[in-house]
Amino acid sequence: MVSILNSIDTGHEDMIHDAEVDYYGLRLATCSSDNSIKVYDIKSGASTLIDDLKGHYGPVWQIAWSHPKFGNLLASCSYDRKVIIWKEQQRKWVKYYEYANHDSSVNSVQFAPAELGLILACGSSDGSISVLTYNVGSNNWDAKKIQNAHAIGCNAVSWAPAITPVFSSNEPESQPIKRLVSGGCDNLVKVWREDGDRWIEESKLEVHSDWVRDVAWAPSVGLHRYTIASCSQDRRVVIWTSNDCIDWNSTVLHTFDDVVWNLSWSLNGNILAVSGGDNKITLWDQNSEGNWQCISDVQKGQGQINNQ
Amino acid sequence: MSPKWNSDYYIALECKDLQANAMAIDSTGNFVLLAGRRFLALRNLDIIDSNIDSVVQKFPRQSKYEVGAAEWNPTNYHKELCVISSNQRLEVLTWRMDELIQTFSVRAHTRVITDLNWHKFDPNLLASCSVDTFIHLWDLRDSRRPTLSLSAIAEASQVRWNKVSSHLLATSHEGDIKIWDQRKGTAPVQYISAHLSKIHGLDWSPTSESYICSSSQDHTVKFFDTTNPRRAECILPTTAPVWRARYTPFGNGLVTAVVPQLRRGENSLLLWNTANRATPMHTFVGHRDVVLEFEWRKQRPGDTDFQLVTWSKDQTLLVWRIEPFIQKLCGYEPVESKDSNEIYGAENLRFFKKTSPRVQPLQQEFSLLNVLIPNLIILKMDPVARNVLVKATINNFIVVLKVSFPSAYPHGVPPGFEVIKEGSNVNESIIIQLLQMLKHLAQQRVSKNRTCLEPCLRQMVTTLEQLSSDTENNRIYNRPYLEPSSLFAGYNDAYIPFPRTSGAKFCSVGMLVCFGRHVNPRRLSMKIDIAPRGLSSTPRALSALENIYSKRNDDYMTVSGFYYQRQRSRVKHNYSKFTKAVVHIYDVLGLFFVNRQLAEEYILDGDVGTICKHNAAASAVVGRWDLVQAWTLAELVAGPEQADEENSWNNHPFGNKLMESLIGHYAIQHDIQMAAMLCCIFGKEHDIFTRKASLKSLLSPVQLVPGKKWFKSEGSPYHTIPPADIVADGWVLPMLRTTRSTSLDNLTIECTIKLHHAPIKIIPNSLYEYYKLAYADTLHRWGLIYHRTEVLKYMCKTPETHKGVEFISDCKDCMKPAKFGNCSSCKKVTLKCIVCHLSVRGSANACVLCGHAGHTKCLKWWLSLSDVCLTGCGCKCLVQTAGMFTP
Repeated sequence: MVSILNSIDTGHEDMIHDAEVDYYGLRLATCSSDNSIKVYDIKSGASTLIDDLKGHYGPVWQIAWSHPKFGNLLASCSYDRKVIIWKEQQRKWVKYYEYANHDSSVNSVQFAPAELGLILACGSSDGSISVLTYNVGSNNWDAKKIQNAHAIGCNAVSWAPAITPVFSSNEPESQPIKRLVSGGCDNLVKVWREDGDRWIEESKLEVHSDWVRDVAWAPSVGLHRYTIASCSQDRRVVIWTSNDCIDWNSTVLHTFDDVVWNLSWSLNGNILAVSGGDNKITLWDQNSEGNWQCISDVQKGQGQINNQ
Repeated sequence: MSPKWNSDYYIALECKDLQANAMAIDSTGNFVLLAGRRFLALRNLDIIDSNIDSVVQKFPRQSKYEVGAAEWNPTNYHKELCVISSNQRLEVLTWRMDELIQTFSVRAHTRVITDLNWHKFDPNLLASCSVDTFIHLWDLRDSRRPTLSLSAIAEASQVRWNKVSSHLLATSHEGDIKIWDQRKGTAPVQYISAHLSKIHGLDWSPTSESYICSSSQDHTVKFFDTTNPRRAECILPTTAPVWRARYTPFGNGLVTAVVPQLRRGENSLLLWNTANRATPMHTFVGHRDVVLEFEWRKQRPGDTDFQLVTWSKDQTLLVWRIEPFIQKLCGYEPVESKDSNEIYGAENLRFFKKTSPRVQPLQQEFSLLNVLIPNLIILKMDPVARNVLVKATINNFIVVLKVSFPSAYPHGVPPGFEVIKEGSNVNESIIIQLLQMLKHLAQQRVSKNRTCLEPCLRQMVTTLEQLSSDTENNRIYNRPYLEPSSLFAGYNDAYIPFPRTSGAKFCSVGMLVCFGRHVNPRRLSMKIDIAPRGLSSTPRALSALENIYSKRNDDYMTVSGFYYQRQRSRVKHNYSKFTKAVVHIYDVLGLFFVNRQLAEEYILDGDVGTICKHNAAASAVVGRWDLVQAWTLAELVAGPEQADEENSWNNHPFGNKLMESLIGHYAIQHDIQMAAMLCCIFGKEHDIFTRKASLKSLLSPVQLVPGKKWFKSEGSPYHTIPPADIVADGWVLPMLRTTRSTSLDNLTIECTIKLHHAPIKIIPNSLYEYYKLAYADTLHRWGLIYHRTEVLKYMCKTPETHKGVEFISDCKDCMKPAKFGNCSSCKKVTLKCIVCHLSVRGSANACVLCGHAGHTKCLKWWLSLSDVCLTGCGCKCLVQTAGMFTP
């Protein structure tokens, strides 16, 4: 069922904190505590280093690829309080835009769905979330800040899919609603919606008993509802579902042995990858009864995913 | 009446067989309760008598459990009550007529009780907390069940009522503090991430409602304002894990005690002034072992002294008096006049001289010294001659060190260090380095009147370890991670989450990108042992790194270093081995239903029967027999009547429902590929489908060649049939007949909804659109652009309006701009080709600069001959247009 495509020794001098492959699956970007970002060509099993991006003065926590219709853009965020958007020009990566308006480490960056335009959300330990929107007319980035989104700090942001199955059929030409979810040190998961020129807190999800480390809004293809996954220092992963983005139901997916800090949904939204402090990666899906089950049991040697 | 003061304290009780581990003083300050597994003892502090038996009453206790906590009721109303906890039980005892009677006993928790606390004002209210994660509030008048239960999720180690407000209470859970309001019991009102290590003690300020201090394993006491819990108001750093920190009843003092399990060469009890946190104001010297519990005795009216009662592991109960001059050090001005103070001081001096069997600080230091320092043996320890002889053996170094203590030590005078040559095998330079380091450290400590033996010995071992590893192999390159003086020094790392060191991301269509810490396979089992189950072993915040950094001054800390240190305690290792940063990419497409081969093989062009046949065959090649069945079924549904306009599948009572449920089934299975394919073929809007069918019936069979995009517009491939096209081709009449649509320009969803009689179909239709979009996205990611376009052609709603350059040609007759190649008023084709001078009705091109346009084919032919515009305007169309788009 699962086979290894590629193993890339990135040559980073310290721990890797994030790795992501671009839209087409042709290039890999990694970021590390050694302050650098590396971009590899991984087309058909290759692993050629394209560029080593140096511009941050602290460990780089997270990276994000943009949709290719905006060109080859890569966003990164770091302990040095900065967000940098890199752009590829003639196979060389250059600093395209730098955003330095946070007062503490920036922990999370994510591009909005391409349908909404070129927009980037950043969550920082100063408690705020920045939404950077590229303005085609002025060739500039407009920054909007959600101040004090999470007391103490914001650890993760994730965009809602732009095309949702629940769009209103009465107004086919209406603007898609911009929504994002964030998690922070106040143990809360918050859903935000853009309303005019500001962002309002739409719901506040309260179940975790410790810092929320990651949130992920599921593509939820084929289902008539919204789904969010959140994970926390309390070792639990919680799945939130809602029909209207206002009333949310929570289900605890599992309580793990160690802190859970990373979540990722598959493209179709049916499989969730979970990883945490115990250095293990597990994959989860929902069986026909709607219960969550682990489908990558390492002990059973089926669909084995290890970090070695 | 006056007790026999031995300088600043007197021994109230010395009793070896008590083995008590809990102590409590009642609200009057008369009675001290000592509670242990075998005995409860009561000492009346008012009676001063050397005869132990006459002042102590012992009550045997038959229990197999130790007493966890004990406390007297602080209110005057119930001053006779005291409560003790024993494993899971709470026992309330009444002190009446020289008898201690158990009046109430309840199994309060399901696991061991960690702490209890009486309400400060309500005489009947008691709070208890336990490992079972609950905090129960008990009312003595109805003791069968708690009046309120607070669920904290994490196990609680301390519970304290606010000393000012009667509603608030605080609990500690590992490194966090939760503040609760008993009127709102569902969730804590405040949550403070106070420490990274376990909190041992909590104490509310006696004067302010919102101030609380916490003492922790991380060697600090932190002061919080609960109205602003984001960061600590101030931090008091100490040298050892702090067991308890309690406010003094006077001034802004604070008394701290070290964790009892930890015997260090430290005076365990210190008095601080919170306004001046660098050095302790006073050290309580007297106990031969660590202090287990301490409490303030109620001040008697007229007394200037405050009294502190302490119970130590050495089984002595001491009463200390805090004289006005010490109170002054804590910022408290006693109300007494100056004269009486002086008299008191003189009296005190007299007392001091009388004392003979006083415990010497050095003796105490020796008795508290933890001799279990790795790689170090204590050869001799002589408190009379005031010297210590130790031998350290590290790798191939052997050092014998003699430490001699001058009589003034530790009051500003450091001890002397000397390396004994015989027995040692180190060279001069190492000796010099070592002595320099020891002198420096000792001087630092004694300048604060602190003892220095144990820190010096430990530092010696560490230094020798480094020196030996330095000589053996070259110093390991280590990138500074958190440079203390770097430009980010101001960052508050306590609120930055601990870095992720492993992760998995689904990328593109079926890729899983994984990274993690390098694990040595042989060490795997050991690693599992180290991480205790059920205990989150990964720290919360980045400042955990700093913590380690501060312990080992020699090197900077990295994330990898953190894991390295956790996994191997002593052996020095090359970091690079642990930081081999490998990313694995897995192909997990097998976990999903989408199939790339099928995506390439599937067709969407032609009549439904042909499509279904072809796709069924394609599924068979891949081995998806379930899909073969579905396609065969689809073919049957589309069936022979398909061409018949009146009986199309959509009107079929059976086929329609069947296809709907089939699409629904694949959607729920997350088989977006099959759902989208079926949607494209069957889920189209009713009118478009019937139009297609009706048009087909009008066309001759020769014209209906499968694969010919006969309804494709000349514009964007995203567009569905532009009505103008149909009009222009003269097919307008049958269209009108079948759809009854009044406006041909308005063939959007809006109008199709009106056509549907069942409004229930609206939602599935929008869902169907979504499946098509999602499948189109998948195809795009695979680079199958043609297949994507095929799918998008079936979209009922135009996905997005074109933004960018648009060509508008003016009608020559009406002089009005026309967007779609036809004039809106005269319906004539507006664009004429510059090459062949015929109207352009298909693919057209135009030069962006001169604006001259024509058939794509014609222009291509002309520009292959010449690069100048055919009209003679002089524009070098190809060259200059190319120059326009490259910056």
